[in-house]
Amino acid sequence: MLVIVMLIVTIAIWLLLMPVVPAIASATLHRFHLRTPSFAAWAMQFPIPAMYNFANRYKVEADQVSLESSPEMVPLDGRMVNHFPARIFTFADGRYLHLRHGEDRWLTIESSYRGQGLRTRFHAEPAEGFGFDLHRLDGKPETQ
Amino acid sequence: MSSFSKPNSNLTPPLVHTKQLNRVLLSHRLVQGGILLTLIWKWSFFVAANGIYGTIPLNDPFFPSWLQSATTVRAAFVTAVAAVGLNLSTSRPRLQWVCSLTALLCMTVLCIHQASYNDMTFVTAWWACLWAMWFVNHLSDPNQAKLLRRASFLSRLIISLILLGGASGKWTAEYWSGEVFTDIYFIDREFWVFQWLRSQFEPEQLRTIATWYSRKVVLVETVAGLGLWALPPRIAAALAILLLSSIALFSNFLLFSVLFALIGLASVGLLVPRS
Repeated sequence: MLVIVMLIVTIAIWLLLMPVVPAIASATLHRFHLRTPSFAAWAMQFPIPAMYNFANRYKVEADQVSLESSPEMVPLDGRMVNHFPARIFTFADGRYLHLRHGEDRWLTIESSYRGQGLRTRFHAEPAEGFGFDLHRLDGKPETQ
Repeated sequence: MSSFSKPNSNLTPPLVHTKQLNRVLLSHRLVQGGILLTLIWKWSFFVAANGIYGTIPLNDPFFPSWLQSATTVRAAFVTAVAAVGLNLSTSRPRLQWVCSLTALLCMTVLCIHQASYNDMTFVTAWWACLWAMWFVNHLSDPNQAKLLRRASFLSRLIISLILLGGASGKWTAEYWSGEVFTDIYFIDREFWVFQWLRSQFEPEQLRTIATWYSRKVVLVETVAGLGLWALPPRIAAALAILLLSSIALFSNFLLFSVLFALIGLASVGLLVPRS
């Protein structure tokens, strides 16, 4: 029981510090965008509950998105999603809605939290055979 | 990690005919029932998802290939359902232990698989499975009242943590202003609360309602996340069941898939004997 209690306390401290420690919020933003530096570091965070966290917007386009990024990020003109916005391509309902026709699609997601922001662009490219290859179009976080 | 050690083969069977021991077994089964409901509540969605993952694979180098595989997610889900179902019905300590461990491992896979990582169903189920893994190792503890108090305390801690996780991510202007819930729920969500509100109020009034709805959510999650664990078991259990049920009843019935595991955990507090 002690091990579980220690895990809970550790996560609670992490959550309570998130609003005041930008590095923790940044780590969670990157977690949401599947942009944690390594899969192992991303997977380690799975017990941290994150229901309806952050303001997450997404936009799916059939035309290639511009790769130019302005110094001041203009808020994305898209709909909100509750959490883990990359789910728009990875989760069943979004995958069916946007990728069932087998055509190129570009997804832009943006999350913001207490002045920090992260925008990520994905390209789902039809793979040889069937399915899609997912490409990330930018690697570095952009801050508001 | 002594909490996860294999059960002693000399353990007395948990089905002993005393009132207190039945409370222990009932606690175990309530939590298993909650986990099972959590997993099958969106059954039709998962059946549809099964077909989608098979026909539209998404190759992403971020995930190891086995954690992108439709076969993996299917196997983990079906095995988890079977393990929890068996755990719900068996009274054999060793089988309870094996089922609990199996379900916990399957939930871990589902929490990091490309096709299911975002679904909080599996996160709350993982925490309930972790609780169950600890609990089955103590089903034969001689002091059952003490066990139930400890089990109830652990369940309150878990529920508080889940709520705190929801709260801390909402401590931002976009939630305090109601902007997020306006877009997710109030504009076009087909659910009785929001349909009724749209039929009764003008858009500007709706925006104000959304703001106060959002602030209510932030405040309730914050207060419960910070304080639920410290309340007496029965009061905490009743409040948690009421609060968790109200989240789904007033925003989205599908959320029961996330909440049933927590409701099962909360109900353990109702079984703590009065001292």
